Amino acid sequence: MRNLLKSIIRPRFLAFLAFALTAVSAMAEQRSGNIWGLPPCVTVHGEKIDSLFMVIFWLTTTVFVLTQGTYIYFLIAYRKRPGHKAFYSHGNDKLEVIWTTAPTIVFLALAIYGNNLWDEIHRQAPANSFEIDVSSYQFGWQMRYPGISGKLAPMDVRRITDQDPFGTDPANPLTAQDVITTELVIPAGRPVHLLLHSRDVIHSFYVPEFRLYQDCVPGRTIGWVWFKATRTGDFQIACNQLCGTGHYNMKAPIHVVTEEEFVKWLKPRQEKNAGTALSKPDVPPVAALTSP
Amino acid sequence: MSATITAGTPIVETGHGHGHGKHGLMHYLWNTDHKVIALQFLFSAAFFLIVGGAMAVAMRWQLAFPGHPIPVIGHLLPSTIVSDDGALIPGGYNMLVTMHGTILVFFVAMPVLIGVFGNFLIPLKIGAGDMAFPTLNEISYWLFFVSGVVMMGSLFMPGGAPGTGWTAYAPLSSFAKYNGTPLGQTLWCTALFLNGLSSLTGAVNYITTVITMRAPGMTMFRMPLPVWAIFITAILLILAIPVLSAAAALIIFDLNFGTTFYKPSGGGQPLLWQHLFWFFGHPEVYILILPAMGLTSEILSVNSRKPVFGYKAMVWAIIAIGALGFIVWGHHMYVSGMNLTLSAAFGVSTMVIAVPSAIKTFNWMGTIWRGNIHYTVPMAFAVAFVSMFVIGGLSGIFMAATPIDLFVHHTYFIVAHFHYVLFGGSIFSAFAAIYFWFPKMSGRMFNNTLGWIHFWMTFVFFNLTFFPMHNLGLAGMMRRIADPTVYDCLRQVQPLNVVCTIGAMGLGLSTIPFLVNMFMSLAKAPDAPANPWNSTTLEWTLSHPIQHGNFPVIPTVYHGPYEYSVPGLERDFLPQNEKAPENITLEVH
Repeated sequence: MRNLLKSIIRPRFLAFLAFALTAVSAMAEQRSGNIWGLPPCVTVHGEKIDSLFMVIFWLTTTVFVLTQGTYIYFLIAYRKRPGHKAFYSHGNDKLEVIWTTAPTIVFLALAIYGNNLWDEIHRQAPANSFEIDVSSYQFGWQMRYPGISGKLAPMDVRRITDQDPFGTDPANPLTAQDVITTELVIPAGRPVHLLLHSRDVIHSFYVPEFRLYQDCVPGRTIGWVWFKATRTGDFQIACNQLCGTGHYNMKAPIHVVTEEEFVKWLKPRQEKNAGTALSKPDVPPVAALTSP
Repeated sequence: MSATITAGTPIVETGHGHGHGKHGLMHYLWNTDHKVIALQFLFSAAFFLIVGGAMAVAMRWQLAFPGHPIPVIGHLLPSTIVSDDGALIPGGYNMLVTMHGTILVFFVAMPVLIGVFGNFLIPLKIGAGDMAFPTLNEISYWLFFVSGVVMMGSLFMPGGAPGTGWTAYAPLSSFAKYNGTPLGQTLWCTALFLNGLSSLTGAVNYITTVITMRAPGMTMFRMPLPVWAIFITAILLILAIPVLSAAAALIIFDLNFGTTFYKPSGGGQPLLWQHLFWFFGHPEVYILILPAMGLTSEILSVNSRKPVFGYKAMVWAIIAIGALGFIVWGHHMYVSGMNLTLSAAFGVSTMVIAVPSAIKTFNWMGTIWRGNIHYTVPMAFAVAFVSMFVIGGLSGIFMAATPIDLFVHHTYFIVAHFHYVLFGGSIFSAFAAIYFWFPKMSGRMFNNTLGWIHFWMTFVFFNLTFFPMHNLGLAGMMRRIADPTVYDCLRQVQPLNVVCTIGAMGLGLSTIPFLVNMFMSLAKAPDAPANPWNSTTLEWTLSHPIQHGNFPVIPTVYHGPYEYSVPGLERDFLPQNEKAPENITLEVH
């Protein structure tokens, strides 16, 4: 045992260890530069989640270092050696009380802090939020934006079929106006309210950069997900609930753009569906934008 | 029954003796002796460990080198899982995910911790001749065996094994059109049903045995901690398993008979499955860790030559974990579409259940504090268990906080977390216990050098495999995806996937010194002393081979299980069946 410890502390071994660890990070460095930290965070709620994350990170790191430091010290200091006898003790009630109470207080405090944030994140979406219907299926995503009237056609989950994948009413004039895409384009700086649906099995809407995960449950509308993106960028929706053979590749692009670009993207599509499209649109044709 | 047992009563072999006197293979195939049943479970679990572990290595290969043919085992897998050149196909990857999880939980961790050590230790440690219902005990093993055959059979069904994960979320699992593997899924459910029956019959036996067959003087609070832990675990099994069995039966109905329990278009509820599954599934987590905690506590105490620190606190912590374990299942479902306030409530109960785990950790540290630590191979695994459990416990706090689950739910962070608890915890302690009781089970000492090689390989490669998974998860890597490189944000962390895979291969290789050690040691003549670790509990008072019926004379117990280094005694241990000399007072605890 002692020989083994000695050989670990030997400089040559340490140098090798340092090399082995940096080699991995250097390899990744060439690709992105972010292998140890969290991915970029682009939503307001996400930043708060990160703050809570860092609180727990430092708390657990401190506990880990303290307990494991003590533990390793005990393991070395109280190893078997000649003439040494163990101390006869069955425990200490005072210590038991201390190490029961202290974690209880810390854990309850964490639960309160966490649940406050949980409530804040799930407060009702602000009135000015932009509403988008997100519909998942084996194995892809479709988004439904409001048409020229600015209102999403009403839907009913019970009406969802292969012929009517969004569950909207074909007789309703709003239905024909809806803009259907396979990518999620959203304006930065404005709250976006998602209506999450599934047409078959449970999928999940997961975007690590948004710090957002929510299952899409068939037969239900999940209406409590909303967020505000803080900056523009390109991301991906990932299905993160095992949903069948194509699950691993069930993704869709997300483009967070400026409000201006957003209008420029959405307007022509709305006008096209309304039958009033400009003869010469100043944006690329729909197919170019929506094809993955 | 306990009233009729008095000290000094010779055990009369009555109906217990069926297995006695048989020779050859039959001795090991049908035997009502709890010690032989333990061995049956042990060898079956070792087989499943190899199968389930190989599946994990195949998955890791695919994650590090997507689409490349798997060396060695690629061609052994059926065509539903691999392409012609031996590379995993996405559907096959899902099948391996499902089978790996199911096999490791139901066919490795449970049989080793409960089937092997429950069976082997309970009667020996409480001074009983056998289990209360020996025949039922053997039936329990054979139900387990049949369920294993059915589970493995699903791999060879048309369509293949189910690819719905060990959690089998409905309606993916309950509707043939969605999963494409109705036969495999039906067999999976059938296997879990049979496996559940096996667990229930085992649990009934453990509970009855512990309550009614303790030797004179063996009060509840004189029972060794492994017995306490497995006793509480058995109660959890009785309460949790029927829920899973019923839920699995409903999946069989939905799949084959057109019912719609989980299908919304027929009036069913997809979340019903999740509630039922996790009502079983969370106690299941504790079913896997409580016995591990009990076994570890004892091994730490024996090898530190010190009484377990806070024995009663340890017992109460086990009971608290068992009770609280039934009100935390919703923390698997924070983001499932369940009521949000319910999520918050489960967040609180989840934080609370961390307390007894913390208590246990502090008591383990207290146990080695000022001890006289003997570094044996079982001790090494037990020592590592505590550290691995601490890492797994601390990473659990992240997920327990409801908002953080929005970020890390179903990522590799959770994969890292539960492997630290289930592998670093349950499997490490299983290894510790196998080494510790190997001399008692086989009458032979194992090879120390091979044991140390096994320990260091397991320890290093385990951490190399699973620690980087925390980073992968925080980078946003989803669990259960066959190819991470299809995502832009994951391509940049691909080197970490390679590291994990190297670790997994090493972990696979680490099994070789273990198996070689066990089989080499079994091949030699019995050479182990009756009490190689100078332990205090009753099983070490018996020398090899232990007859069916165990104790020639029922022992009397005079004190608690962990009287080590009692001042004034020449030896540093005082067996439970030996009275302390008049001039020595034992500490009351």
